[in-house]
Amino acid sequence: MDVIMMLAPLIIIQFLLMIVAIIALLKTEQTNGPKPMWAAIIILIGFIGPILFFIVGRRQY
Amino acid sequence: MQWITIFKKELVEDWRNFKWVWVPLVFIIICIMDPLSTYYLPQILDAVGGVPEGTVIEGPELGPTEAIMFSLTEISMLGVLVIVAISMAVIAGERKSGVAELVLVKPVSYFTYISAKWAAKLLLVFTAYLIGMLTSWYYVSLLFGDLSASQFIGLFLFYFIWLIFVVTLTFLYNTVVKIPGLVLTLSIITIMAMSAINQIFSFRMPWFPNSISEHITTMLAEGAIPNELWGAAGITLGLSVILLVASNFILKTKEMAD
Repeated sequence: MDVIMMLAPLIIIQFLLMIVAIIALLKTEQTNGPKPMWAAIIILIGFIGPILFFIVGRRQY
Repeated sequence: MQWITIFKKELVEDWRNFKWVWVPLVFIIICIMDPLSTYYLPQILDAVGGVPEGTVIEGPELGPTEAIMFSLTEISMLGVLVIVAISMAVIAGERKSGVAELVLVKPVSYFTYISAKWAAKLLLVFTAYLIGMLTSWYYVSLLFGDLSASQFIGLFLFYFIWLIFVVTLTFLYNTVVKIPGLVLTLSIITIMAMSAINQIFSFRMPWFPNSISEHITTMLAEGAIPNELWGAAGITLGLSVILLVASNFILKTKEMAD
């Protein structure tokens, strides 16, 4: 089995997660901290970045 | 009917918060990360380089049961952290912002309020966990060999009981304190303390909630459900019911006191 073919879904899912986080970032009015910083975190820190944003980045209450 | 209304409200809120999208995606990543990287370790080391010429790298010989346990190990750390994080504000946040008072001033019982929210969160956790583990099962079957459906279902359901406990524990702390961050900290500390107790006394207390995953390993190896697993599962479920009832009473006294 080709390595690339097996790893492709993982990469696609990480990419999807990043896209969802970016959409959420654009739709959220207020974030904890500056938006460009969160954009950088989402894009640069693998799949941990989007999780961090969803948990602490969005001001929900 | 009130129950259904609160339940639906919680589902809609989680949908608007993107939780129904990102939690399943994160669970897929968590579940397949370890089996995949273990399988491809030799190739990864090869590609990264730095290994002297002629070195033979042999990954450990793993069977499908060991490989799928990697997914559970990851869920027990990262997965539990995500579960606690998505439930940390479920009641605490609403009490802080005053939404809880708006709801509870109506003739809605505390138990309806808590149990409807609890069921909605469990549904989200169950869905994410199901999708993640199914993906892991698919990969494990491809890379490590067949894992029978009965083995998968047994492992999946028994471990879900532990996740039910984690959600319920977070709900309990939600009623005790109002600060979501503190709910997260207290829940994680409790789970870590329980895990330490389990490691020290595992031989004396085979029915401790944290030992569920050890018993699942035994179940997969022997092909039969050990009695300790039934015991641990029963105790964990019982504890969850007690915690849920306790959070009902704590919320009642706290809200009365306010």
